[in-house]
Order: sequence, then C-alpha cells, then structure tokens
Amino acid sequence: MAIRNIRVEEDEILRKKCKEVKEVTERTRTLIDDMLDTMYEAEGVGLAAPQVGILKRIVVIDVGEGPYVLINPRITKVEGEQVGDEGCLSLPGKVAVVPRPYKVTCVAYDEDMEEYEIEAEDLFARAICHELDHLEGILYIDKATEPVRMVTEE
Amino acid sequence: MEKQFPNEREWILDILIEVDKNQGFVNQLVKQTLDKNQFIDKQKRNFVKRVAQGTVERQIYLDYVIEQFSKVKVKKMKPLIRAAIRMGAYQLLCMDGVPSSAACNESVTLVKKRGMKGLSGFVNGVLRNIARNKDNISFPEEQKEPLQFLSIQYSMPQWIVTKWVALYGYEMTKTMLEAFLKEAPLSVRVNETKITKDELVAALKKQDINVENGAYCSNAIKISGYNYLGKIKEWKEGYFQVQDESSMLVCQIADIKPDNIIIDVCAAPGGKATHAAQLLNQTGMVYARDLTEQKVELMKENLTRLGLTNMQITCQDALVLDEEMLEKADVVIADLPCSGLGVIGKKSDIKYNMTEEKQKELVKLQRDILSVVCKYVKKGGTLIYSTCTINPEENEENFRWLLENKDVKFEAVDISSYLPKELQEETTKQGYLQLLPGKHSCDGFFMSRLRRKN
Repeated sequence: MAIRNIRVEEDEILRKKCKEVKEVTERTRTLIDDMLDTMYEAEGVGLAAPQVGILKRIVVIDVGEGPYVLINPRITKVEGEQVGDEGCLSLPGKVAVVPRPYKVTCVAYDEDMEEYEIEAEDLFARAICHELDHLEGILYIDKATEPVRMVTEE
Repeated sequence: MEKQFPNEREWILDILIEVDKNQGFVNQLVKQTLDKNQFIDKQKRNFVKRVAQGTVERQIYLDYVIEQFSKVKVKKMKPLIRAAIRMGAYQLLCMDGVPSSAACNESVTLVKKRGMKGLSGFVNGVLRNIARNKDNISFPEEQKEPLQFLSIQYSMPQWIVTKWVALYGYEMTKTMLEAFLKEAPLSVRVNETKITKDELVAALKKQDINVENGAYCSNAIKISGYNYLGKIKEWKEGYFQVQDESSMLVCQIADIKPDNIIIDVCAAPGGKATHAAQLLNQTGMVYARDLTEQKVELMKENLTRLGLTNMQITCQDALVLDEEMLEKADVVIADLPCSGLGVIGKKSDIKYNMTEEKQKELVKLQRDILSVVCKYVKKGGTLIYSTCTINPEENEENFRWLLENKDVKFEAVDISSYLPKELQEETTKQGYLQLLPGKHSCDGFFMSRLRRKN
C-alpha cells in the first residue's frame, strides 16, 4: 500500500511506449495495488503505469463500478462517438474536448494473467481509450479538437 | 484520467450560467450540448432539455419561491450559486419524477465540485427548505393582485402582462400565458416535392413517432415522442421541414402562382422561402436573403436537404437597396426582425430580454426595412408583412403605416378566402390577422397582405 508520485507535464516518460507484461510477479502486484491507491487518492477514474513512471502495459480504471485491472489491453471494437471534456491526472488543471468512441470492446489480462473481455460505454469507454493511449505515449491533448482550457475555480 | 467528465446536471448548470451571462439562448445552448453528445440515451437527453429550458421558462416563479427561503436576493447571488439553486428548485417544484433528495444533493455536489465548498451549505439549506415547505408557499392572490399573480404564476415580466391585459383582457392574457407554458408537439411541413403526406405519416408512425394532423394547413403535421430530430431518416432526406403553422400560412395567403418571382428579404432559417419554392413547383424563382453568413449557411443546409432548385440564397442587408430588384417581384415576403413575443413558448429567454425601449427601436428598424423592400414589388404585385410577435405597434400600426405610404402606394387585400374558416375574422377582410397562442393552435404571429397600386 503506497501512494506513488504521479508524473506530470513535460516528464519524458509520459511520451514513451510501454512494454508488454510477460508475467505477473510480486513486484507487479505491488505496482497494481499502488496504482489503485494512487488513483483513488487523486480522485481519478483511471491511471496508467507510465503515469507513475513504469513503462509497462498496465492500466487501472474505476468509473464508479468497481476497480478494473487491465494488463496488455487492446481494443477490438469501437462504435459510435462521444464528444466531451477530458482531463488527466498528469496534466493538472487542464481540460479539453476530445472525441472518443461511445462504445468499445477491450480484451485484457487480469492480475492472474487470465484473459477477459470488457464491453464499455460512455465514461468507461472514454477512460479505456484515454488510459490505453498512455501506453503508447499519447496524451489526450494530442487528440483534442478544441483548445485546451484551464479549469477555473470561481 | 481525471474525474471531471460532466454529467447531465453539470451540462445544465453550464447552460444556465451562459444564459445568465447573456451569452446565448437556452434552446441553442441545449442543442449545442446535445449535438456534441448524440449518443446519450433518450431519457438523459429529455432531462437536460426539460430542466435547462424549464428553469429559464419558470425563472420569475422560481426566484419568487427561492427568495422566501433565502436571505440573499437571487440577483445578489454568485452566478454559479444562482444557477445551481434555480435548477434544483425547478426539479423540486415543477417535476414529479425527481426525488427531492436527488434534486438537492446534485446541486450541492455541483457547487462543491466547482470549488465553492463554502457555499454548499447555503445551497443545501435553501433547497431543503423549499422541499420541506413546497406545499405551503404563499403567492399573490389572483383576486387581490391579478397582475402580480399572472406575472409570477406564469413567469412573465410584469410590463408584458400589464400591456396584454390592457389590449386583450385578463382572461385572454391568462389563456395565452398558459399556452406558452404548455409543451406543444413540433409542427413540420411536408416537402410534397419529395413525398406525399400520407407516405410520410406512415413512415414516421413506423418509428413510433406520434403524428397528428396540423390545425390549419393541409400539408402540416405535428410530431412528438421522437428522440433526436437530426437522426430521423426522413428529416435527413428532406422529406419535411420544421416550421410553425402560423408561418406556413404566410405563403398560403400570398397566393403564389407558377413562374412567380419571389423575394424573401429576411429569410433565415428559410421556412417560408423553401415553402414558396415548393409551391412554385420547379418554376419561377425565390430569392432568399439574410444579413449574416451564418444565417445564409443555415438556409443553404436546409435548401440542400430539401432538394429544391428554384431558390437563390445570398447574404444581403435588407436595409440596403438592391437596384436590380426594383419592381421585379410578384411577391415580396417581409417577415422582419421583431420583439418575438409570439414565440416565447419556444424561446423563453426572449421575455426577459425584451423591453419597451427595444420594441420602439424595432418599429423603426421595421419601417426602415419596409420602405426599402416595398420598392421590389411590381405594380399589382404582393407585399406580405409578417412578424412573430404580439405587439400592435410592430404589427397593425406598421401595416397601417404602409397603407399611408406616399411614395409607393399600397392597398389592403382581403385574405379571408386563403384561410381556414376558423381563422377568418373581421380583420382578415381588412388584410391582416393576429394569431394568439391559446386562442389559436400555433405561435403568436402577425401577417398581412398588401397590393402595390402604382
């Protein structure tokens, strides 16, 4: 149980491609637990390993339906479109409009390296797309269709 | 990813804040929001629409109630707090399906989320108080203070209520105000160049859309129960155009004949102009104009969708004389910028923004435009003057002013024979008709017809 540092802004690690996970070791399990803790602590809905400085293809997501751990995830199907605001724990205070598929089907491995499939809609689908992009070194600002805005607190 | 994906109540809050800052009309902002999020389900879509539009529509009523439970005047509140309380109050007072706890909690959560934790207790207090006491709120009594009663009960600024009661009497005014708040089905015009009315009705019914016949026009139908208009195949194919029946009557009284040259001087979004083109049945020409490129674009979209060929759209200021069109038109349609009080049922922000001062300026603008565009009418040709407002200065008085015009001379034309029986009245013989919502089954609207004599 530990909160890790979230890499932000210009940190080069956010722009690197992540490596496949071959096996889940004790260290991997600790990493996943820490990622979940870090995500909850930051009140996020998703976190990818590179955001805590680890270049592995691991993502955790919880949009309110309980935590999902996605190892070596890949999207197999996309449907529809949603256009809406998106923000990232690695780019604090910023938000921008990003178009995403409305529905995605994603295949991934869980912590026991069992393969499973998720069908996600709406926010969950958006979070999957957002986190999977992190594994490729892509940030949402690369895909924003409108200028990035600073979140104003009135 | 950060947890800031806006939920539907947050969209509503943002819409209300924009409206409050006078940065847009509620209907347009709702449409923009929903266009961006086409995949949300029908229930959420209707919720956003209903709460955003309803909160604006009932604003005077809501503020009256809020001020009984808040030490701070609504006008003195911070915009975010004002919007959050108003939308919460609307859900508490005007909607049956929303549990009180949800209506309160969601507004409180929104306020916290937007960084105003310190005021969330205030929002919570006011809304919970309203929820607890909503059945014993005191309102002005109808017998003692009739004008205040109407103004608050139907959320209509008092100057408008006062003016209408003087013009049309108390009962008629009340009928109109009730009609504005009633949800009316969407009135559309069948594009008979592409499909018959029966075929269209059958196709829409197949998709579980409710269809009724129009009240006054043979090619009008009224639809309701659809999810997203832009997704109806028949709309995309241009089989119909959204247009209120009042506006359809304009081309009906114009008595359009094959090969006519028609100029619509303030045409956007193009309802009447495309109707005219349709009636010309591939002959003649409709010149449709409006002031801004944006409006012109809107018309072009509609034209392309409807697939009409006998129409030319240009960006042109109606105040500037177009020499080439002098005495060229069989029919000039002058449906001019107006105070819009007839369409408050659809665009509720109008009632808060209009003033008697602005109405006076509009009368001047209307006369300035009329004195230019009346010159496009041929000798013996037709001038149609119409507005979507309820205001004698802009309507009947401008009509009379046209009849007294020294330069280009006009006479009134009896329009009774072009109208269904139930719309024929003394004034239609004299060339004009004022439609009133509630009295008539359509928007408030004025139309008149004149013939050029010299």
